[in-house]
Amino acid sequence: MNRREVTQGELDRLIDAQELPQLRADRLKQIESAVIADLRPVRPMASDGVYVGALAGIFIAICIVSCYLIAGRDGWEALSNLQRPVVFIPLLAIASLLAFSLVRQMRPAAKYVRTTALFGAGVFILLIASVVLIFHPMQETAFAHDSLVCFRAGMMFAIPTAILFGIVLWRGAALSPALTGATAGGLAGLAGLTVLEIHCPNMNVYHIVVAHLSVVVVCALAGFIFSSVTFSRRWSNH
Amino acid sequence: MVRYQQADARATTMLIEQLSPQLYRFFAAQLGNADNAQDMLQDAWLRIHRVRHTYRPGEPVLPWVYAIARRVRVDNYRKRRRIAMRELVVETLPEPAVPTSEATDLPPFDKLIADLPASQREVLTLLKVNGLSLEEVACATSSSVGSVKQKAHRAYERLRSVLQLSRAGKGTEV
Repeated sequence: MNRREVTQGELDRLIDAQELPQLRADRLKQIESAVIADLRPVRPMASDGVYVGALAGIFIAICIVSCYLIAGRDGWEALSNLQRPVVFIPLLAIASLLAFSLVRQMRPAAKYVRTTALFGAGVFILLIASVVLIFHPMQETAFAHDSLVCFRAGMMFAIPTAILFGIVLWRGAALSPALTGATAGGLAGLAGLTVLEIHCPNMNVYHIVVAHLSVVVVCALAGFIFSSVTFSRRWSNH
Repeated sequence: MVRYQQADARATTMLIEQLSPQLYRFFAAQLGNADNAQDMLQDAWLRIHRVRHTYRPGEPVLPWVYAIARRVRVDNYRKRRRIAMRELVVETLPEPAVPTSEATDLPPFDKLIADLPASQREVLTLLKVNGLSLEEVACATSSSVGSVKQKAHRAYERLRSVLQLSRAGKGTEV
């Protein structure tokens, strides 16, 4: 105890004795003049609720639009009473987690930003495991063709979702653009996956993993790369 | 901060004058290089200026500012590492470390913390050099108070052992 107090005191003394160099006055003036020269009023960002609402609205709107563009809900009807909650409850949980993480990423100094996104990724892995457990392999004559059709359909809905998310998030992606891009891409991919689960009647486990779930992974990766490149240029051009 | 968002030049100047020394200490304590710290301070203010709309009135300012500052530091570190990897020959020697007080027999602070992992160094600097509270450091680093406490505790433990070794070394010399 005594050793601890003495050492702590020494540490404090050491830090107090530290003489850090003084900031040069001309440098401070330079910073001030640079900031003042570009000074104009800005509107503070809206509350978290507004952004969560906007993201949820886009997600739901895309799913509704898909019901008009693709006739019937064959996928929903093909799922059993056990399979429906196993697929759609984790989808809803992941979408909520990613949406909350995105909103927090738009607020510098917000807590649990990465944790929420990682938790969402964890639930997605659980979803994959559940799909592998409750769906079974089936004989398919045109596996590659059918998978490609579904993957393209998923991307067809995921890309507009990602663009709309980008418009909503553009002002706020300030600190971790790569993480924001990956999270937004993942959420957009989830919209594509939800559309596929509603409309695709193919219950082959390989088809679901390769053509449906991969939409989320591809979108998250694309978002990560796009955001890293775009925002690193944005900051370096500044 | 709200008046800065409303483009009040006087409030902006006051804010820069009040926060810059603290921010400069944050960079200087971790880098040990005055020129780099000043460049980074300028980068930090440009970034703060560009994302000033992300501050929401009523929220604490310091965690918001330090969250941006630490991002600037990370980006700058990556940028310098990329440049260093491309440069094969180093023609100039690095600048001398931050001058320290001669009054103490202890090693300079920047040298002492140089061996700490980056996350512990950052937490210790924010707590001890910048005087932020545990809660503020947790917000600035996007982590929990428990995690900040743990990092600070580990940093202290490590520094204590370094100080003990330093003292033991001096004892044997005598």
